[in-house]
Amino acid sequence: MKTGSHLNLLNYEVSITENNKLIEFVVKMFQKHNLFLIFSVDCMMDTNLQKDDLTGTIKFIPPLYKQRYQFIKDLVIKYKPKKVADLGCADCTLLWMLKFCKCIEVLAGLDIRENVMKEKMHRLSPLPADYLQPSERSLTVTLHHGSVAHKDPCMLGFDLVTCIELIEHLEAAELEKFPEVVFGFMAPAMVVISTPNSEFNPLLPGVTLFRHSDHKFEWDRAQFQSWAVAAATSYDYTVEFTGLGTSPPGTEDVGFCTQIGVFVRKYPKNGETVNSEKHTEHAYKTVFKAVYPSLKDEKYLQNAVVSEVLFGADIIKRRLLGNFKSEWKDHRDGLETKFKFQPFKYFMRRSKNLPLAETEKLAADRSTEPFIDGNTVYIPLAKIFSIPKVNQLCGTFEKLSKLIAGKVALSNDGSAVIVTIEYENEEQEN
Amino acid sequence: MNTFYSSFHISVQDGFSAGVSGCTLLERGGKTRCNFQDLGVNTRETMAHVKDCKTGFSGIPVKVITNLYSLGLPREWQLYQYHVTFNPELESRRLRLALLYSHTELLGKAKAFDGAILFLSQKLENQVTELTSVTKRGETVNITITLTNQLASSSPVCIQFFNIIFKKVLKKLSMYQVGRNFYSPSDPVEIPQHKLTLWPGFAVSITQFENRVMLSADVSHKVLRSETVLEFMTSLYTRTDSACFIQTCEKELVGLIVLTRYNNKTYRIDDIDWCVKPTDTFPKRDGTEISYVDYYNQQYDIVLTDLNQPMLVSRLKSKQNSTVEPRVVHLIPELCYLTGLTSRAISDFRLMKDLAQEMHLNPEQRQQRLSRLVDNIQRIKEARLELEMWGLQLGCQVSLTGRVVPTEKILMQEQICLPMSAGDWSKDMRNMKIIGVQPLDNWLMLCSNRNGELAENLLNCLKRVGGPMGFHIEYPRILQVQESPMAFLRAVQQHVNPEVQLVMCILSSNQKDCYDSIKKFLSLDRPVPSQCVLARTLNKQGMMMSVATKIAMQIICKLGGELWAVEIPLKSLMVIGIDVNKDALNKGSSVVGFVASTNSKITRWFSRCILQNTGTDIADCLKVCMKGAISKWHKYNCELPARIIVYRDGVADGQLKMVVDYEVPQLLSVLTELTTNYSPKVSVIVVRKRCIPRFFAEANRSLQNPPVGTIVDTEATRPEWYDFYLISQLARQGTVNPTYYNVVYDNSGLKPDHMQRLTYKMCHLYYNWPVSK
Repeated sequence: MKTGSHLNLLNYEVSITENNKLIEFVVKMFQKHNLFLIFSVDCMMDTNLQKDDLTGTIKFIPPLYKQRYQFIKDLVIKYKPKKVADLGCADCTLLWMLKFCKCIEVLAGLDIRENVMKEKMHRLSPLPADYLQPSERSLTVTLHHGSVAHKDPCMLGFDLVTCIELIEHLEAAELEKFPEVVFGFMAPAMVVISTPNSEFNPLLPGVTLFRHSDHKFEWDRAQFQSWAVAAATSYDYTVEFTGLGTSPPGTEDVGFCTQIGVFVRKYPKNGETVNSEKHTEHAYKTVFKAVYPSLKDEKYLQNAVVSEVLFGADIIKRRLLGNFKSEWKDHRDGLETKFKFQPFKYFMRRSKNLPLAETEKLAADRSTEPFIDGNTVYIPLAKIFSIPKVNQLCGTFEKLSKLIAGKVALSNDGSAVIVTIEYENEEQEN
Repeated sequence: MNTFYSSFHISVQDGFSAGVSGCTLLERGGKTRCNFQDLGVNTRETMAHVKDCKTGFSGIPVKVITNLYSLGLPREWQLYQYHVTFNPELESRRLRLALLYSHTELLGKAKAFDGAILFLSQKLENQVTELTSVTKRGETVNITITLTNQLASSSPVCIQFFNIIFKKVLKKLSMYQVGRNFYSPSDPVEIPQHKLTLWPGFAVSITQFENRVMLSADVSHKVLRSETVLEFMTSLYTRTDSACFIQTCEKELVGLIVLTRYNNKTYRIDDIDWCVKPTDTFPKRDGTEISYVDYYNQQYDIVLTDLNQPMLVSRLKSKQNSTVEPRVVHLIPELCYLTGLTSRAISDFRLMKDLAQEMHLNPEQRQQRLSRLVDNIQRIKEARLELEMWGLQLGCQVSLTGRVVPTEKILMQEQICLPMSAGDWSKDMRNMKIIGVQPLDNWLMLCSNRNGELAENLLNCLKRVGGPMGFHIEYPRILQVQESPMAFLRAVQQHVNPEVQLVMCILSSNQKDCYDSIKKFLSLDRPVPSQCVLARTLNKQGMMMSVATKIAMQIICKLGGELWAVEIPLKSLMVIGIDVNKDALNKGSSVVGFVASTNSKITRWFSRCILQNTGTDIADCLKVCMKGAISKWHKYNCELPARIIVYRDGVADGQLKMVVDYEVPQLLSVLTELTTNYSPKVSVIVVRKRCIPRFFAEANRSLQNPPVGTIVDTEATRPEWYDFYLISQLARQGTVNPTYYNVVYDNSGLKPDHMQRLTYKMCHLYYNWPVSK
């Protein structure tokens, strides 16, 4: 676990006497890392303040909860997990932030309070625009209502499981089961657990016993670390500790406001099948599920390919007719006679006038070059396949043939896309 | 105009811009107006003669099926509104919700609470209920729930409440709200050749209709471009002259609504900022600066590919009554998708045709879509429960009895034409003389060098059709010019003098610039009637005679001629038509069109057109128009009109109150100020070409459009209004859109039946087309 960079940054010694320099420094550091702590002007007046004077003035910018979410997001960007679960997802803010991370294909949330989860869960639905140009990756977001003290196979096979400010809400009995459920059963490659550091509490305004009335306990660093090390040891994980929210200068000994344990599984990934056999009963209730439109889904891929093929065919047709018309126009301008626009005749006449070798070459070209026959434009599939977007979407020629079958009009032998020319509505030349 | 026969009409006359109003294509996404159902305007009670009965009687009864559904509400159904207070007061809405909802057993099941107002489907035992909760911090909070209102299902609050419930239901069906309607982006219809995507969807609303509250559902389509604004701009760049690219681009994009890739909001493009680039920075909410590139990368993991793209500018609507400057946001073209159609797209005949093919559903197809929606609501448990919780259920489709009124006689010069179908009498009046027009002796015909032959051809046809109609056409002066807008304009400038009766131009392409410059010159600089025809229209084989007939009729109208008339039983009746349109590009101004008949046959007209700032009241300019119309009438008839009927179109949803409270009194004041003792009988009718209900007639076991002349004045009407629906046009394609007439003022004492019949008669006087409109 390489969170060293965070540790170094957050433990930076600040010893500046002039206020404006301090402000300058803070702003600079903030801009650089988005993670910092400043305190109000009052306390900047004197850097040798007593702890008592500091209470009531501590303010984290950005707010600590945002820093915690950002911490997870940074981890995701760094390690690129595909499947991420957030236990105790509350109003789904973290999940919402993570859904934009392109590496993630499965996102799951679990919470015991269904109403809180439902309040803003629609944020996790695909956006209307996601359907306009479906993305390359697939993404499924699911929310479950249930307790972390229970095992449910839907939580198997994850790469990262986060428990942000969760464990302190657990009753003793639940906390006891927690390591077995998360490390033993779910057994993801990485687990992140954050919880308040009670040593920091005296610096926080208005905190008497716990920071939140629903907290069942708040641990100091030693308590958390011993619990974490014990859990890691018994389930074969390594753990490293870090935190967020540094204390004002002079009070560094209390540690971070939020303490974080990052657990990494030692043994390589087991097959999912092995895990799912362990437990098959469902303990959670699914309250939300959104499957994002993706090109991995045949339906959307087909839609995209058919659209590109028809669009490309239309351009080729117009280009062909455009050439045609301009040649025809040149021709007509020379003659004084009037005759109707008859591409078929034109094509025939042109072919007739060509030397034999040329005609043969033209015939050979038919396999790749579009041509007009009567009222129909033939665009060979090979030509279609060479359209960059089509090529990129399909990958193989076979895939192209398969996807457009029945959706795009093809010639009898299936070798070319056919487009009928509508003469009545033919566009006028300028 | 919802039928597509207009496509022809579009290409013949001044229809480069006309022809699509009325279909949902142009609908703007955006904020829902708070009172778009015009609740609280009770005009019927002010008209004694329709208080008890507002229905007509003539015609043959016809059974029509509607797109309305009953909600299965018991008569005694009520919604209970409570006010909830917390002591001590709680800042957090979530906490207020949590505390109140923890008393589930007390409150029963169905409840909606916004933090202060609580709606219940069942009444609490007491007027005032006191509850006590303990927060997780151990604080005791007293909650007082006081009954403030018992709402009947017809009350405006209740109607709004139902509308919210149904929004939830549609969301449960995985539909997305865009603007006022709901769409299914997961089942798109692609029109790849134009890079368009259509999302099928529904416009659903709950309204208090004549006898009960009902749900109305109609099929709606959202038109989107399946490419980003950046891709759109790039392809526009390759197609246009780079010198005027910026201008063209702004013309195309400003005013359109975009959807972004990263949130669920829509924005209106108000401007394009060509100076700001994605690499520039902007201040975040906390005051720090960040570049657009970095912001979208950090926030949404989006990598912008074009770092030179300009920015779309959108002014956010400020919250109500806020005096704060509206906030301006910059949007990245690469991350935006266009909704709706650009003006270029609308003038693209092929595109509109392809679009219509997908969007125009016949009654049978429409019915299938509606059935599927209703079926889904009933079948999908979450959706159904949302309704059942409140004692609502989606009932059966409502059918009612309408009347098909008799076909009107068309009065020609010497003969009376009895059309076989009220929908189209072009065949019936063949070889009949029109009422009258001056001969066309001195006129110009302009065409490009290439189209000389077409012009000759058209001229021959015009002469051939003109004879039997009684319209004498002399050989014009034909000018052949270069194929360019400038050449056309120069020719017009050179050769048009005040003696010229008409200028006809045969245009080679659908180039709006050319059309616009010609029309502008001939309307403002040297006012002479003009007629533009697309060469394409004249290329249609076998259609020339009917094309020529229609062009001849339009020319007659432009020369001030009269085509035909209908029997008007009322003497000394002046009919006024008013339409108001907002300028699509310049939102600050609107165009007011005003016409008034000047003879008792209602075949001659006075007309005015006024451009004015939206800030100024329309009623002011209506007064000016009204005075002009009355004096014209007096000039021709040596008396003042005894009756005046005003048809007012262009009233947007939610504007009815303004018309009733302000516009009508202003119009009436013109009359009383005119001379003493003059008090004509006046009726003011608000016309809506777009309305909620649709009507289908059953025939041969399938659904069809009801016959032309169908009137509906029961069930689907509103109890507080004197209103009726009239199907006055034949829809050859798609489903007909009934026109909605709401008589908001009437001291004429005319029976409802007469009002309806008279309105139907007026529909026959649409001179652009030998059909009723």
